[in-house]
Amino acid sequence: MLIRSQSGPGSGNGPALPELHRRLKWVALAGIIGLFVLVGRLWQLQVMRGDSYFERTVSNVVKERYLPSVRGKILDRKGIALADNRPAFNIYATPKQLTPEVRAELVRMLGLSDDEIVKLGERLAVGTKRDPKIPVLILEDQGRDRAALVEQSLTRLPGIEVHHEPYRYYPQGDLAAHLIGYMTQMTSGEVDKLGNQGYDPSELVGRYGLESAWENYLRGKKGVEHYAVDAKGNRLDDKTAQTLITGERVIGAVPGANLVLTIDADLQRIAEKAVAHMPAAAVVIVEPKTGKIRALVSKPSFDPNVMTGHLTRAEETLLLSDPRKPFVDKALRASYPPGSVFKFVTALAALEDGQAAEDETIFCTGVYQLSNTSFRCNGSHGKMDLVKAIQHSCNVYFWELAQRIGIDRIAELARKFGFGTPTNLGINGDAGGRIPTKAWYEEKLGRYRVGYATNAATGQGDVEVTVLQTAMAYATLANGGTLFVPQVVERVEATDGRTIVAYQPKVAHDVKIPPDALDIWRRGMWKATNEPGGTAFDHGHVDLVPVMGKTGTAEIRTRRKKEEEERDVEGYHPTRSHAWFAGWAPAEDPEIAIVVFIEHGGSGGRVAWPIAKHILESYFTKVSPVAAPKAPVK
Amino acid sequence: MRGTGLQLPRATVGVSRWRRFRAAVDWPLICTILALCTIGLLNLYSATRGLRHQVKFDSQVQWMIVGGIAFTVVTIVDYRAMVRLAWLGLGLAIVLMLLARIQGSTGGDERHGSTYRWLFLGGMGIQPSELVKVMMILVLAKMFQDAETSRYEPKALLIRLALIAVPIGLIAIQPDLGTAVLVSLIVISVGFLAMPSVWPVVHLTLAGLLAIPILWESMHDYQKNRILGFIDCNASDRLSASTANCWHTTQSVFAVGSGKLTGKGFLEGTQNQFNFVPEHWTDFPYSVWAEEWGFAGSVFLIAIFGFLLVWILNVALSARDRVGAVICVGVAAMTFWHVLVNIAMVLGIAPVVGVTLPFISYGGSSLVTFFIAMGLVSNVSLRKHGY
Repeated sequence: MLIRSQSGPGSGNGPALPELHRRLKWVALAGIIGLFVLVGRLWQLQVMRGDSYFERTVSNVVKERYLPSVRGKILDRKGIALADNRPAFNIYATPKQLTPEVRAELVRMLGLSDDEIVKLGERLAVGTKRDPKIPVLILEDQGRDRAALVEQSLTRLPGIEVHHEPYRYYPQGDLAAHLIGYMTQMTSGEVDKLGNQGYDPSELVGRYGLESAWENYLRGKKGVEHYAVDAKGNRLDDKTAQTLITGERVIGAVPGANLVLTIDADLQRIAEKAVAHMPAAAVVIVEPKTGKIRALVSKPSFDPNVMTGHLTRAEETLLLSDPRKPFVDKALRASYPPGSVFKFVTALAALEDGQAAEDETIFCTGVYQLSNTSFRCNGSHGKMDLVKAIQHSCNVYFWELAQRIGIDRIAELARKFGFGTPTNLGINGDAGGRIPTKAWYEEKLGRYRVGYATNAATGQGDVEVTVLQTAMAYATLANGGTLFVPQVVERVEATDGRTIVAYQPKVAHDVKIPPDALDIWRRGMWKATNEPGGTAFDHGHVDLVPVMGKTGTAEIRTRRKKEEEERDVEGYHPTRSHAWFAGWAPAEDPEIAIVVFIEHGGSGGRVAWPIAKHILESYFTKVSPVAAPKAPVK
Repeated sequence: MRGTGLQLPRATVGVSRWRRFRAAVDWPLICTILALCTIGLLNLYSATRGLRHQVKFDSQVQWMIVGGIAFTVVTIVDYRAMVRLAWLGLGLAIVLMLLARIQGSTGGDERHGSTYRWLFLGGMGIQPSELVKVMMILVLAKMFQDAETSRYEPKALLIRLALIAVPIGLIAIQPDLGTAVLVSLIVISVGFLAMPSVWPVVHLTLAGLLAIPILWESMHDYQKNRILGFIDCNASDRLSASTANCWHTTQSVFAVGSGKLTGKGFLEGTQNQFNFVPEHWTDFPYSVWAEEWGFAGSVFLIAIFGFLLVWILNVALSARDRVGAVICVGVAAMTFWHVLVNIAMVLGIAPVVGVTLPFISYGGSSLVTFFIAMGLVSNVSLRKHGY
């Protein structure tokens, strides 16, 4: 018996403390309630909620680290790497462990610039928000000396790690920079969005060009390494970790797929060098028979190696304040008035409608009078037939044709050639341009004037096209009427060279051009590049292969104020006309169609054509050599 | 009738001294204490393994030896003699506490540091506030030794109450709110069980509850934060709470809960081994125990404490005199409140206060205090049969 109701044998006069005896049941009740509250709470915590707490304690200890997957390469059609990976030293920090002292020591030790300190602070803030115990990338792609410096003193820098990881690298420098694109660290918003898709906050993501548009193929699949940490975030050894982790401790990464492009790196380089002396330009070279792009140039450009993690704030400011807008892909994102290269639309529409004939002559006095407005031609050409009008690029002839067919017919045919809608290349948000119609003017300005058709006939006024659209349209002229969807990715390959997806040329639609009408236009183009008086021929001739082409000089409608002009970059005059050249070679069996566009370059014949000529000559000697100059066709 | 030496039951006169002693000694009490000490050491071994704290285990063993000696001494010296000197003892404890305060404000950087120095200088190793608990129990025994109702006049009660309030106040301003509240609880509990009339204690308790707002205003910010943090943690979702105030409680609750029915096994508790519950060997050993031994082990430990309490009350009921009974009631109250407050704190249903778990928590002061307290019970038990 545990509690005796009687006192010990020695007392004899009742219990020593009668109050206790009287209140014993209350004492017992209080004690039992007290201890049973504890037992009840234990039941609640350990039996009812035990599983969830157990998982919580495991996640206290077990952490995940993503193992970077090797990003897929971007190769040109011959296998030359345009985007590759190289080993790099990345410095990581665990926000929870990184004391202000360690941070200061790191800054002092490496002599970090203000830019880097700001970046470091931002990245730590993002990381802290996510999980302060997971290391974040604070300094990427550090030099060997900096990495060695940190590695030597790791014991003095708790929370800092150096990892040897693949880093994006563009071996050809700024070659095809707009097409290839670059990579940057995710923004805070992207971290939230992509975090669920297995992205690590310190990862770089494709930001421009193919790197961005083909991210899903290039990225591959990250591996995961599970490891254990103690309460302070110190990493425990892998043997201890293994006992705490259920399942695989390390799941290997799957490398990304390689992109093989239709681009020819040699031709790309030739084209880029040819426009190197121009402040702003774009070149598109495309295979007329397939719609495959062989070169895609936009100038001014940027170095993707700098853009990928090495851009300082000053450089960024400089690039962003450049009036030439280096980050706009001039080949397909920006649209410009096409000038005379657009005349084929007017000519073909008139011929199709029977409103023009090859032998009809119109006398050019240099001025075209329409109601109260006089339009000035680029010269007084005298008596012109249609072919000569193309050769000399006589505006009056086309203005007359425009009067006969009207703006809506011009627009209709322009749309058939792909103008007015994006080409669907799928990168850098290619623009649709603008093909005005009567309805468009009425909606926009409230009224329509006959002069608008006059402007549209020669690719002026409100007509705007992209360089890529122009190239695809001229490819259509070259191949006899098939408008292709431009293609830049030939196929997607696994790392072992196995093809994952191969892309076939895709036809947008067939443009039904009457063969004789096309023939008239082609003869005009031939004369422009091959006969005296041609707008191109006067500034040079390609002897190597027969070339057909059309120049264009698109005047700028809105003239900027003078003081604004003075601030501009040297050699870049925003009031000057745009220089165009569009054509193909060889004339009868076209291998490549080319469009050269020099923004505010001036005359198409004088500025754009010599560049196109140089590119074509180089192409047919170095890239795809021809045996001997072919005999002129006609 | 009053002897201070070892008194043995008359019935066994003639048997050898050792056998008579053996028959009189309260073996169940000693066995329970030994069982708790064993669990305490086992738990401490796990709690301090691999953290460069192994020295704590050896130190705890040494303190247990010291405690065992204290237990023996307190058992042998007649408790009535000790009760006669109770006020003196409490006075001494107060002086020590004042000295500790002076020393702490001049030499030691932390309260803990100056306590450590006491241990070395005095060789007693008792934190003055811990000593107060024992002395308070003796003082209460002396106060309530008289069964005459006439002795409990309001005026006399108030004077005694004022005297008792002094050390509690001193502990509170140390500041050690947990201990102050604990000593108050002991006083009130003993009052409820030993006062001939229970009403003065009821009134006093009500008055104390009404005084809480005033106490709140005079509290330090960190104390307020602790209590507010505890309330906050309860209000918000425990799984997401990780602010500084909640960290201790949250991690402790995780540890306990993750033990599930049978626990993770000895030395296998991750919360414990990787130090997620800070300082778990002093105030949170129960979280270590619950994580590694689960619901089964946790209830087992509570059951041992339950038996200990029942046994001490049993000794109180069979005590020779009123003084002995009140001593036992005091020790039972002290043990009960320590266990209840400590475990409730570990389970996240009480704020984090520095109250130890008897015989399980690491620390010499607490250990020796409880050995002395149990020595008093053993003393009463030994003398229940005669004079």
